[in-house]
Amino acid sequence: MHEPLFSACLRGAAAVLALARTTLADAADRRGNNAPLAYPDTAYELPVAFGLTDLRVATLGDAGKVLDLAETLVRRGATAENALDAGAATLLAADVLGALSHEKGNPYPPPAVGFVPDSTLRKLGIYLVDGSVPGVAVVVGKATDPAAAAGMVRQFQEIGLLVFLAGDVVAQLDAQGVKLGEDFKTFPLGPLPAVIHAVNFAVRAGLTFGGIGRGQGAAMLSYLGTRVKAFVCALGPLDDVALAIAAGAMKAGLTVLSDQPVPEIPGLLLSRPAGDEMVRAGMEARGIKVKMVKVPIPIAFGPAFEGERIRKADTHIEFGGGRSVAWELVRSAPTEEVTDREIVVDGPDLRGLPAGSVLPLGIVVRVAGARMQRDFESVLERRIHRIVNYGEGTMHVAQRDTTWIRVSTEAVGKGFSLSDLGLMLYAKLHADFENIVDKVAVSITTRLEDVQAGLAWARAAYAERDARARTLTDDAVSEFYSCTLCQSFAPNHVCIVSPERLGLCGAINWLDGKAGFEITPTGPNQPVQKGAVLDAVKGSFDGVNAFVRENSRNTVTGMNLYSIMESPMTSCGCFECVLAVIPEANGVMAVNREFTGPETPCGMGFSTLAGSVGGGVQTPGFMGVGKHYLLSRKFLGAEGGLARVVWMTREMKEYLGPLLRERATEIGMPDLVDQIADETVAVTPDALVEHLVKVGHPALKLPPLL
Amino acid sequence: MSVALPIPGFPGRILAVTLPAGPGGTPVTVGGQNALPLLPEGEHPNAPAVGMEVPTGPLELPPALAEAIGPFAGDPVAMARKCAGDWGARFLFLSLSGCHPDAGGQSVSFGAAVVREVLSATPAPVIVGGCGDEEVDARLFPAVAEAAGRPVFLSYAEEKNHRLVAGAALAYGHGVVSWSPIDINMAKQMNLLLADLGFPPDRVLIDPLTGGLGYGMEYTFSIVERIRLAGLSGDAALARPVLCHLGDAWKAREATDPSEGTWGDVGARGPRWEETTGLACLAAGADLVVCRHPSSVARLSGAAWR
Ligand code: SF4
Repeated sequence: MHEPLFSACLRGAAAVLALARTTLADAADRRGNNAPLAYPDTAYELPVAFGLTDLRVATLGDAGKVLDLAETLVRRGATAENALDAGAATLLAADVLGALSHEKGNPYPPPAVGFVPDSTLRKLGIYLVDGSVPGVAVVVGKATDPAAAAGMVRQFQEIGLLVFLAGDVVAQLDAQGVKLGEDFKTFPLGPLPAVIHAVNFAVRAGLTFGGIGRGQGAAMLSYLGTRVKAFVCALGPLDDVALAIAAGAMKAGLTVLSDQPVPEIPGLLLSRPAGDEMVRAGMEARGIKVKMVKVPIPIAFGPAFEGERIRKADTHIEFGGGRSVAWELVRSAPTEEVTDREIVVDGPDLRGLPAGSVLPLGIVVRVAGARMQRDFESVLERRIHRIVNYGEGTMHVAQRDTTWIRVSTEAVGKGFSLSDLGLMLYAKLHADFENIVDKVAVSITTRLEDVQAGLAWARAAYAERDARARTLTDDAVSEFYSCTLCQSFAPNHVCIVSPERLGLCGAINWLDGKAGFEITPTGPNQPVQKGAVLDAVKGSFDGVNAFVRENSRNTVTGMNLYSIMESPMTSCGCFECVLAVIPEANGVMAVNREFTGPETPCGMGFSTLAGSVGGGVQTPGFMGVGKHYLLSRKFLGAEGGLARVVWMTREMKEYLGPLLRERATEIGMPDLVDQIADETVAVTPDALVEHLVKVGHPALKLPPLL
Repeated sequence: MSVALPIPGFPGRILAVTLPAGPGGTPVTVGGQNALPLLPEGEHPNAPAVGMEVPTGPLELPPALAEAIGPFAGDPVAMARKCAGDWGARFLFLSLSGCHPDAGGQSVSFGAAVVREVLSATPAPVIVGGCGDEEVDARLFPAVAEAAGRPVFLSYAEEKNHRLVAGAALAYGHGVVSWSPIDINMAKQMNLLLADLGFPPDRVLIDPLTGGLGYGMEYTFSIVERIRLAGLSGDAALARPVLCHLGDAWKAREATDPSEGTWGDVGARGPRWEETTGLACLAAGADLVVCRHPSSVARLSGAAWR
């Protein structure tokens, strides 16, 4: 099916080569073989030859050698490989033609600019590296519908793409009043053959910004394919020559979109009608994402407002929090099922509602991305909490189907609506999860029937997720994740985050670690291979030991994940609670950060204890942990688990609540929670032991800790 | 009986980095060592270099500095000549602080013109520092990179702006100072990010953020030491020369407050404070130090042996 296409590429390449030969011969007759040949204002001779071959070109004679080489690339046989190589040959020959045409500078009448000099390349290249110019669009040919072409180019300009134009489309766009020129990052190059100046621009970008040297052809092609996010929009019928040039673009990994019925080659050659669809397909094929610099909503938005509470009196409208049904859900979906930036609000919106209204609410965020995983849904979903709190005048509490959102009277007064809420989620999820999310769509409903119907669906999704979480155990996975975020102040501290032991700050679980690694592969969350299990009960793994040793720079040589007595995990300083051994009671106590009481059975309050635990050192008998670690099956496995806990602050007991009872029941000690003392029962070891004896606490029967 | 001294050897070596000079000037090369500073063992092909800051814009100088560099306020070109000449600075840190909106707000093109003038006035190697305002620096670095007629270093690239600064440096062949806030992991990550952009490693210096004596210097000491140990142990991303800017020493009240009579002459206290900070940095492993007081240049240069 592609054969005619490939044959056309070969014919086109031969035609361009022949033209280059005769034009070069004419010039040589006129000026001699030793006459200089160069583009104006570039350090890269004939850039395509510079980047792809090791030929040096200074004279007309040298250019002949480029053509000789190009000729060897045009082979018989209509195969894909031959067509692509013929494409490369076409680019080499076209660059020779381009340079010949610039003997006396830009050969084209305005507005065409011809060759784009290095000075412009340097200026614009910075923004390509920086990402503020997210990609390059090359528009060539003759539009059937000039208005549609103009619309497309205006869209590119709005997105901030660098645009090159060649062919009749230049005059067409000029007539349509499209703004052209450097200020608009839109370069009308000239007639169709001038498209080579887009190619030699891209090649020079690789030479200048990609650290690629002369003649590193393979590195250059890979740079063009992976770093320069460029695509070609070919408008109108394609002749042999146009196809040969297109083959050259494809050889460099660029996507070519034609508005003609060409036979498609996935990723490389696509047929799309000119207009929105072509724009979208081109951007998607090259992974160009549009960054939203400022979220266009009527209220201020940022971390500064995260802590803001909205009191009842200032609330214009609220959702959930026990007053109405409300839930939120993030779902991943195949990329073709998600339309980026689609924000749909169904049902009554905020405007026009009387103050003090209560509405039901269902929020569904659908995301797609090549590196998105179903496991990350919960990570993104928990981020909703922070994002909503970022708004000045929006408050978010809890999660899932217990979510509670308030919007202040002031915010509604400024015109804040639910689609703005959607926009906040859209923009921030894109920004925070740039590496894993390509598309985000938000749909919000406030219609009771829909919210209720959705609730069942959302609950099924939560249940499915929880079931999956239960299968995620330390024994079942082969890698844990590190977190070294706290090394900024505890230099040798490494948190090892496993499915059954979250980071000691309580903020990072195994899935967060996994997502964190995908988002920033060079960041603080790195995969840690478990390696051989040295002691399953203590939680000793040789891979973990090796990782901790290396990342603590040899200060911590081994670490047991489930022990407080023997090589426990180090503590940085931001632990949610501290565990401390009470030798007299043969058990451990747990005190949370919020506990302000001056005393606990170990003789210290939280802050004194914290002072002696932190800093990234191993302190057997003391350890900082996340609160939820107490509920883990792996909690202090080496010392006998939850049965070791003899004392816990009241606040913690309340916080862990029914989950703690569940876990106690699971280990066959349904009364344990009531046997554990708190600050109202004992704050000295003696009183504690007395209590434990009285209630028959199981720790007293466990093997001695010391 | 003779006892063999346990001399530690390291598998790694710090990458040598050269700050190029203009015609007739002396480039500064640092790095290249495979051992800790101030110890007899190992190879130390390049001694640390001491440079001076050349400020721009209006200055509010503490007494000791007012006396020494006050006469040059508003004339960075003359000051640059003096620093590289009489005062013996091996390189200059041209701070475009004057472009900060709160410090006079000189225009970006003015800042670029200052760079051009300073570069033609002296052949000494130059590091150009931004003004610290995110929005202004985003325009300033590309302009400076274009205006600089010979290779300089741009200071600094941090996580947020590193693509822009690296892009500007790549476009015109400059180097960058990669900055991290007293955080070894961030220092490493910055260098990985730069490498990922294809930035040549021999055009990168690490600025780990330098706290003044009594105001965080001990953190800096520890981080520089750890960066160096990691680099020498074979972590290529950290095996880079370290630059310490001593400016923070001048934020200490002890260095600047004339009202405390019992602390001694404030004119002597300031330079002492800066020197002490600088000595600690050199002991920790710094390869380049930037000072503000001319007397520090001589004192620190005297101490900068390996
Ligand atoms: S305490 Fe939390 S943030 Fe700090 S290193 Fe551990 S997991 Fe990371």
